[in-house]
Amino acid sequence: MSLSAAQPNGTSPSDWQDRYWHVDQVLEKPGPRTDPSFLAGREVQEFLRDKCKILVIGAGGLGCEILANLALTGFKDIHVIDMDTIDVSNLNRQFLFRPADVGKPKAIVAAEFIMNRVPGVIVTPYYGKIQDKDHEYYMQFNLVICGLDSVEARRWINATLVSMVDSDNPESLKPLIDGGTEGFKGQARVILPTITSCYECSLDMLNKPTTFPICTIANTPRLPEHCIEWASVLEWPKVHGDQKLDTDDPEHISWLYGVAFKRAKEFNIEGVTWSLTQGVVKNVIPAIASTNAVIAAACCNEAFKIATSSAAYLNNYFMLIGTDGVYSYTFEHEKREHCPVCGGEALEISINHDWTVEQLMEMLTEKQDIQIKKPSLSTPLKPIYFQQPPQLEKNTRPNLEKKVSDLVAAGGEVTVTSTTLPFSLSLIINYT
Amino acid sequence: MVDTESQDIETATTTLQSAPDAKTRRYDRQLRLWAATGQAALELSRILVLSSDATSTSILKNLVLPGIGHFTILDDARVSPADAGNNFFLEGPRSIGKSRAEEAVRLLLEMNDGVQGVADTRSFDSIMDTDKDWFSSFTLIISHNLHPTRLDKLSNLLSSNSSAPPLIIVRSSAFLAEFFIQFHEHTIIESHSETAPSLRIDKPFPALLQHALSLDYEKMDSTEHGHTPYVYILVKAMEGWKKSHGGNPPKTTDERKEFKKGILALQRNIDEENFEEAEAQAYRCWAETKVPSEIAQLFNDPALEPAAHAQSRQPFFHLLAALKRFTEEVEPHTLPLTSTLPDMKADTTSYIHLQRLYKARAEEEKAIFQTFLDKNVDIDEDVIDLFLKNAHGLQVLRGRRWGEFERDTDAFSGALASYPKETCIHLALSALANLTVKQPGVAPTAEALRGEVLAIVGQGTELPDALDEAIGELERAPAAELPNTAALLGGLVAQEAIKMITKQYVPIKGYAVIDLIDTTTATLG
Ligand SMILES: [Zn+2]
Repeated sequence: MSLSAAQPNGTSPSDWQDRYWHVDQVLEKPGPRTDPSFLAGREVQEFLRDKCKILVIGAGGLGCEILANLALTGFKDIHVIDMDTIDVSNLNRQFLFRPADVGKPKAIVAAEFIMNRVPGVIVTPYYGKIQDKDHEYYMQFNLVICGLDSVEARRWINATLVSMVDSDNPESLKPLIDGGTEGFKGQARVILPTITSCYECSLDMLNKPTTFPICTIANTPRLPEHCIEWASVLEWPKVHGDQKLDTDDPEHISWLYGVAFKRAKEFNIEGVTWSLTQGVVKNVIPAIASTNAVIAAACCNEAFKIATSSAAYLNNYFMLIGTDGVYSYTFEHEKREHCPVCGGEALEISINHDWTVEQLMEMLTEKQDIQIKKPSLSTPLKPIYFQQPPQLEKNTRPNLEKKVSDLVAAGGEVTVTSTTLPFSLSLIINYT
Repeated sequence: MVDTESQDIETATTTLQSAPDAKTRRYDRQLRLWAATGQAALELSRILVLSSDATSTSILKNLVLPGIGHFTILDDARVSPADAGNNFFLEGPRSIGKSRAEEAVRLLLEMNDGVQGVADTRSFDSIMDTDKDWFSSFTLIISHNLHPTRLDKLSNLLSSNSSAPPLIIVRSSAFLAEFFIQFHEHTIIESHSETAPSLRIDKPFPALLQHALSLDYEKMDSTEHGHTPYVYILVKAMEGWKKSHGGNPPKTTDERKEFKKGILALQRNIDEENFEEAEAQAYRCWAETKVPSEIAQLFNDPALEPAAHAQSRQPFFHLLAALKRFTEEVEPHTLPLTSTLPDMKADTTSYIHLQRLYKARAEEEKAIFQTFLDKNVDIDEDVIDLFLKNAHGLQVLRGRRWGEFERDTDAFSGALASYPKETCIHLALSALANLTVKQPGVAPTAEALRGEVLAIVGQGTELPDALDEAIGELERAPAAELPNTAALLGGLVAQEAIKMITKQYVPIKGYAVIDLIDTTTATLG
């Protein structure tokens, strides 16, 4: 028997008759809103089941759901990346994990579970960071689905996929489907790198994280949160020196709670609890199985439609608010002209003539549509300030207190980079 | 994040707690949404699901994980090869031929050993004929693509008895879906409304007014001056304004501008953020604190009428009746004050002092409120506190029967005008269901579906083009239960079930219609 003994309709030996009875109904026939280019039947089934290679980033709340949905819809070559291990607080939603799995790598446990439950599907796990992988690695996939809770990681993969696009090679454009949830709310979106708005384009839609001014924490605490911040930001380093605070270590949280509790009592502030302490220092985001299920399904549905052309796909942003009824909003998020990742044009900013380099850096960190932590700055001719390496940092440090206007002429260009982001931002500086 | 902590905040701050137990750690991420009270309601619940197809197990998955008490799957089907391919809670070919309910229950229970579940393989019809009270023994019933004849029987049964459980009806076909909750009455104390209760700056209570007036900016040192909370600044400024304006607050735009200017003029230097805050919050002086119209409307609820009230065993309506009397009889005719104070620029001492003023007044008003409560009814102190804290967001929902929407001509034509696509999807799914009764086992044609739609809405009704698109999708794949559609419904329906069980947040009012081609949702009716 020849190895290529063709199985009908893209089925393989592990498939049983009628395995894909449900999915095949939409793959064998177009609907009224299906694009005419749809190749109903065998060709699309074969592509989905034998050829399509998909990458899932994150094996947590969204990732578990995404893996299960992809496997059931017929994707058979799935890769998953996650750098985390399983924690007991994951078990209320990350349904591929059991109490005995606590401490093990999410990617590996999830991959094994899927392969056990859904025969014939190969899930290849990578327990590590997305930044460990290069362009060649990402180039092997047809699609990327992201279920992450980290803004930084999303910015990284988004910028990487945009930079991979080569207009002479259509294969280099990898659709990115991104999902995110918080409590009863969530969003799913389709990004076609360089063509539609990208993750960086919508940075200003993120909620600003709550921060407390250090003088409030130190001198005029009013809220329990202020006491907790005091314990973690000021007291921990004072008492523990170089020992790093591990927010996953219950012992550490207990210590912070005790210190914060004492301070609160001293100031007659009510409300410091163990759970609030953990919530503040870990920046805990409420998460439930049902919202993850909705958003993951929306993402996988887009992946299925893009991979098969069986129906039109989302253009390009779906937002869900489930606190009061089921409210959702589907819209086309527009590209940002000055997007440092996909826009190409330098961003013009006006700053005060007296601003120091340090003040400019603070603005770059805080401005909603920039948010570059620990930026390094240079002009086309010379470095202004570099965070690394140490020698260069030392040499450029005196510039922090200098006025920007003494270093950069009006209308001059400044390039901003950061080690956490694989792109640079070009600024044209003017003075007021 | 802070909101969900409220309960712990008020009760558990006097002594140091130990680290949370295993169960609290497991449920931590959801306890931050619905707290221990919501979790307790979930753990007491008993859910009946009338199938173990892919959609049903997806819904159950999202109820087992957060820890419902008990579930029953009623399903006499055996696992088909197609079931084994699209349902994650079956073990592929190994499950084929076995009882679908038993396989699903076994695999669902693996996810949470705090949950109990049973498979009931009797037929729906035999129970309906011989043991129909059984259906009323659950907290909530969920059906997916239930045969229309059975659905009618069940919906009739549950709607004829006011203590029968809510029924969530789910229908789907390929990329299109909808669901509806049939229930009698649903009261919500914790709606988690995003509006904050009034600080009553326009109608300050005596202790607040007195303290604000006692402040003398001249005598303050620069620290005190720059840390005077905006609440005092505004109350004091308003008193001054009223004195020189015949007792009236600033009314015209010009007057309001002048008032704000007066506040900023108090600033000793531009670093005093508290005065900037006061200027930004000045609208609180003229946004009159009164009973919100949604709450005033609840006071007309038939359940508050004397005869009805006496019989009603729900504490909610006793509390609502007391609230009504409070707003009628107690100056300044507003909802009772809550002690929730937002953060503001202030030093610790003045902020805590202000907080205590609010707290003391809230306690006084609570004591008055309690005198209005029916003496023969015993209501937990915690429930009273929760009720008062959330009084500005109370809701009473009265449900409708399944199928009433189509008979309500006004509502229906309104929906057709505002949501043509979703109304057509709803009609097409109804037509598909009707055809399974009229022509069982026959693949529905577009023509037959269109005929059924016209039979529902009446011949001659003008229908938008969206109907052809909905019908076309159903003709393409009438019985397809796509894994992604099942998973998405699993999430949405479980969310609604959790809201019904916990009586927190606000469930849908009407039909949620989902189109997974454009990826949109809308609520009809
Ligand atoms: Zn962009």
